[in-house]
Amino acid sequence: MKARTLNLRLLAGAALACLISGSAYADGGPAADKPATVKSADVTTERLLNANKEMADGNWITHHGNLWGQRYSPLAQINKDTVKGLHVAWTMQLGGLEGGGIWSHGGLEGTPLAENGYLYVTDGWGSVYKIDARGGKGTLIWKMDPKTDHDWAGAVACCGVDNRGAALYKNLVISHTLDGRLIATDKETGQVKWQRAVANPDKGEVVTGAPLIVKNMAITGVAGAEYGIRGWIAATDLDTQKEVWRTYTIPTKGEAGIESWKGANSAEVAGGGSTWVTGSYDAANNTIVWGVGNPGPDWDNAFRPGDNLYTDSSLAVDADTGKIKWHFQHTPNDPYDYDSVGENVLVDVGDKKLALHANRNGFGYAVDRTDGKFEWATAFVKKVTWTKGINPKTGKPEEYDAGKDVQTYLAAATPTRDKALADFCPGNMGGKNWPPTSYNPELKLWYIPVIESCNRVTIAPEKALPAKSREFFTGGGPSQPFRITGSVTAIDVTTGKVAGKFETKFPNLGGTLATKDLVFSGEPSGEVFALDGKTLEKLWGFNTGGGVSAPPMTFQVDGKQYVAILVGLGGAWDKWFIDSTPELKTMQPGSMLYVFGL
Amino acid sequence: MMFRVNLAATLVMALGFLGSAQAEESEAQLGRATYARANCVGCHKWHGNGGGGYGGAALSLRKTQLDREQIVKTVTCGRPGTGMPSFLRGVYDDDAKEHPCYDFSQKDLTGDNHVAEAGTFLRPNEIEAVADYVLKNIMGHGDPNLAECVAFFGDTSRVCEIYKPKTSHQMPTPSTQN
Ligand code: HEC
Repeated sequence: MKARTLNLRLLAGAALACLISGSAYADGGPAADKPATVKSADVTTERLLNANKEMADGNWITHHGNLWGQRYSPLAQINKDTVKGLHVAWTMQLGGLEGGGIWSHGGLEGTPLAENGYLYVTDGWGSVYKIDARGGKGTLIWKMDPKTDHDWAGAVACCGVDNRGAALYKNLVISHTLDGRLIATDKETGQVKWQRAVANPDKGEVVTGAPLIVKNMAITGVAGAEYGIRGWIAATDLDTQKEVWRTYTIPTKGEAGIESWKGANSAEVAGGGSTWVTGSYDAANNTIVWGVGNPGPDWDNAFRPGDNLYTDSSLAVDADTGKIKWHFQHTPNDPYDYDSVGENVLVDVGDKKLALHANRNGFGYAVDRTDGKFEWATAFVKKVTWTKGINPKTGKPEEYDAGKDVQTYLAAATPTRDKALADFCPGNMGGKNWPPTSYNPELKLWYIPVIESCNRVTIAPEKALPAKSREFFTGGGPSQPFRITGSVTAIDVTTGKVAGKFETKFPNLGGTLATKDLVFSGEPSGEVFALDGKTLEKLWGFNTGGGVSAPPMTFQVDGKQYVAILVGLGGAWDKWFIDSTPELKTMQPGSMLYVFGL
Repeated sequence: MMFRVNLAATLVMALGFLGSAQAEESEAQLGRATYARANCVGCHKWHGNGGGGYGGAALSLRKTQLDREQIVKTVTCGRPGTGMPSFLRGVYDDDAKEHPCYDFSQKDLTGDNHVAEAGTFLRPNEIEAVADYVLKNIMGHGDPNLAECVAFFGDTSRVCEIYKPKTSHQMPTPSTQN
């Protein structure tokens, strides 16, 4: 064993090792210069509720950093003054590149978790990796491969072979698979304790989001609104493995909201309303706030007259029962595919308790998170053509007409059955897609990863409800005659106004991380960069050589702060939207964890 | 499967038609592989029925009336103003001697004449192979069925189950490496 590891080291890095330590052969293999493995404490509700303190201690124990969805770390060794010295500390090659279904390869969109010097990351097919990050390098402790059925799930994944990360609960790592399972893996041994099928690809349902742990439950969201599903959010009791509740995002007969589906077409057959981005939790009100996706079919809105609740809405549900408490809808009777699936960031500003949401439709919204009352909306993209703006009183688009069953908004930019082709901005990817925003509570700045875009949609009217599941049910489709770029745009939440914009050549497909005085993000062309948190001036950059479509996070181990990011272009872009960014055609699939340190 | 192919090959060898039959077999394989790799499957679906989707409103290749030459041309050139991309590199280059596609060069492709460039370019022989695959395996076929689905995906996955009577299943068994 010893001989083998020595050989490996010799082959892989002898020259480098000699340079650095001069005694490269004295140690005993990959893990020898690390302290013995330590058992981590159970992750409890208490700890999750105090995630800010965990972050100050160097951990990152829930998907968005804390349960409020803020992705803000108070760690400050890497700061405005030191960041120019940031460099690659170590990397680790991961797997999950295989194709399946309609996909030629998997990609990385996950946020790593960090606890006590160990990282937990997932690849696109839902394999979970536990990595020892102590001692200034990464060592794989275990990898759990869920053996996802590639073709079964991959054929109905509209937008890539993706998995956005895992969750921690007690001594378990909780994760999802594209084929709809929730899996509990022993944190120490990597052995699977149990698994439960939550979603069903036979119905066109797949799961890409990270679980949210609330109390003793894992909350799961589903994808599939392009395949005629009826969306839901589900809670699984992690101690009994039983379902606690499942709340459909599309009402059925006799339920509130059904009046917003006026046509003869039954909403619950194919109404859409996916929930594939991890939401947030407000313990003070025991409320989960979760984004709901587009209606089905995506573009043919005459097929589904009415406002189509709760599609394109932020939805607040009671954590214990799943009962809907309030909703706020952004784009009623949506003809653009402007879903609201993105995260809601909970923030306190003065005495206001807000939920922030950056929508695909190009506007950032603030609502009162206790009752869903509208506060303000601000365009964060450079170009909006589908509406004159959001009405400051109602929060609805100015052209919204409650008397109309089928909305047309600004008609020149709206595809309809009569005028099947229309160009609109932002394009159907947004605005802002799933890549998460981050919020600096001291500067009160909210950093949005922006896709500055327009595109074209052609309506192909749907004649009937889908006869078979697992078939696209979109009522048309987009094409990409326009170049698409990106930005990181900051909104000052005390004024609701744009405070700065850092423009990028390519759309932001990865999301942002906020630290005390910096913002981190990446580009699909490979660049990872840091901006001044106040001015958005670029202070540091490094090209990873692989497409970035995942959010950065930060952690601390051995008293040293690191920034970690998964690199390997995933998602929908290289299949469906590449024509708007032709230079990205040369990006090769990849699967790598990068860790940067000072 | 392997066995059948070998058997057929042996048989053919005995009959002395070796060259053409093997060529046909590998041509068919190239056609199917290209259909998957070049993302025809992404927009037109494995079964070719097309329909809406993120790739645009793709036409049904089951119902297409085009002949071989027209399919080759559509794949080579794409179709201006629609989501159907062009698969041959350089066909619209401004400085090319000939403009084989609708006499258009890059500068003509603006506005409603926009032609998307495919994410994966194909060679002329691959374009012919995929056209033959469409003609033989998709065009004129009725509703997709189990046999066709299994022929496309193989039978190691549940992907074709919706074409079968309902059956119950066990979840896959995860495995850990440490
Ligand atoms: C990005 C999506 C996309 C991809 C990839 C794509 N197609 Fe198409 N295809 C379309 C669309 C959209 C149309 C319909 C064009 C129209 O409306 O006239 C179309 C039309 C066609 C037609 C014309 C059908 C007819 O009856 O007029 C053929 C043939 C065709 N595609 C074959 C292919 C083949 C073979 C491939 C793979 C090499 C392929 N397509 C890849 C979107 C796509």
